[in-house]
Amino acid sequence: MTFALAFDCGLAVLILAMAIWTIAARTTFPAVVGFVAYGLLLTLVWMRLAAPDVALTEAAIGGGLTGVLLLGATSRLRATEPPAVSERPSVPFRLAVAGLCTLLSAAIAAVVLLLPDPAPTLAPEAAAKLSLTGVGNAVTAVLLAYRALDTLLESAVLLLALVGVWSLAPDRFWGGAPRSLALRHRDGSLSLLGQVLPPIGIVLGVYIVWVGADAPGGKFQGATIIGAMWVLTMMAGLQTPPEISQAWVRVILVAGAAFFLAVGIAGFWLAGAFLAYPTGFAKSLIVAIEVALTLSVAATLGLLVAGPPARPVRT
Amino acid sequence: MTEFLLAVGAFVLATVALGLIRVLRGPADADRMMAPQLLGTGGIAALLLLGAATGMPGAIDVALTLTLLAAFASVAFVKGASEPAEPEPDEGGGG
Repeated sequence: MTFALAFDCGLAVLILAMAIWTIAARTTFPAVVGFVAYGLLLTLVWMRLAAPDVALTEAAIGGGLTGVLLLGATSRLRATEPPAVSERPSVPFRLAVAGLCTLLSAAIAAVVLLLPDPAPTLAPEAAAKLSLTGVGNAVTAVLLAYRALDTLLESAVLLLALVGVWSLAPDRFWGGAPRSLALRHRDGSLSLLGQVLPPIGIVLGVYIVWVGADAPGGKFQGATIIGAMWVLTMMAGLQTPPEISQAWVRVILVAGAAFFLAVGIAGFWLAGAFLAYPTGFAKSLIVAIEVALTLSVAATLGLLVAGPPARPVRT
Repeated sequence: MTEFLLAVGAFVLATVALGLIRVLRGPADADRMMAPQLLGTGGIAALLLLGAATGMPGAIDVALTLTLLAAFASVAFVKGASEPAEPEPDEGGGG
């Protein structure tokens, strides 16, 4: 396996170089570009580690929305950049930061190296009970059956994050629409991309959600792709961000978590416990929850990118 | 065959790695943002070779996702690079 070793070593060197560059860059734009490249390399690393579900998440989040979010932050921070670059922190301060970072890295490395070999795992048990859930992908079974409570809380956290972003809006804009994402220089190729790519992206997103029951994939990855397509149509100027006070926006945002919670509460009567699925219906309920969550997560991610409301409510 | 595919994958990765020098050196933002685009293309090739070499499920799906979002990321880059100072909201910023 010499070529495999060469591949892994090359990957490790590249990813370390990009990580160091991302930290060392003095201005934000090169750092963000480095971070996007780092995310692409990380996708390959997860594939080498035989974790295709994680690789897919990294590909969708890192390749899609993180870049847009960070670049948006970059253009907002650009005015503050010259003073930040010219500022030189004092030597003791820099030494303290370096020391603490080294300490943290050393602690993480020590924990990883001191893990018992083989590492403790619940994977065999998760795989053994897989047939009870009806799904074929052990990761989906963990996320939506064994540890459904965590996933329910995560879907609520996403909503809280959006509320957090919205709460940055000045009072007079509350309930209005976020600022337009469209490029100021309209151009034909972008309009074309905004019309050609979303149909393909929506099909791929739905496919990734659907296939998640039995193969690598799932609602979060699929929803990220669909959300990215929505953001693309907004950047192409084909759509404008909706006003956040509109009822349909709020219904779509909470639908996924609300449906998940309703299924969980129904579990008290139907299966004897919160979030328990009645025998024989586990797979259909899991798929239904994934579909409901997909819509909500896609809308939430799109609105997270759009940012806080920046226009007064139209009356 | 597996060895051969992995060797080709490593080669593709090495060529793209040379492109990454542009991220480090620039000089313009446009030069910097082309490098991850090239890495995206090469990464997809390496991923597909890796998937074929190890028979890992999902490699093609990950490659599809990367392909689709690479086009999306290029739009985001253009927006980030070409619009240096976004105007504050219509009625003046802050609050």
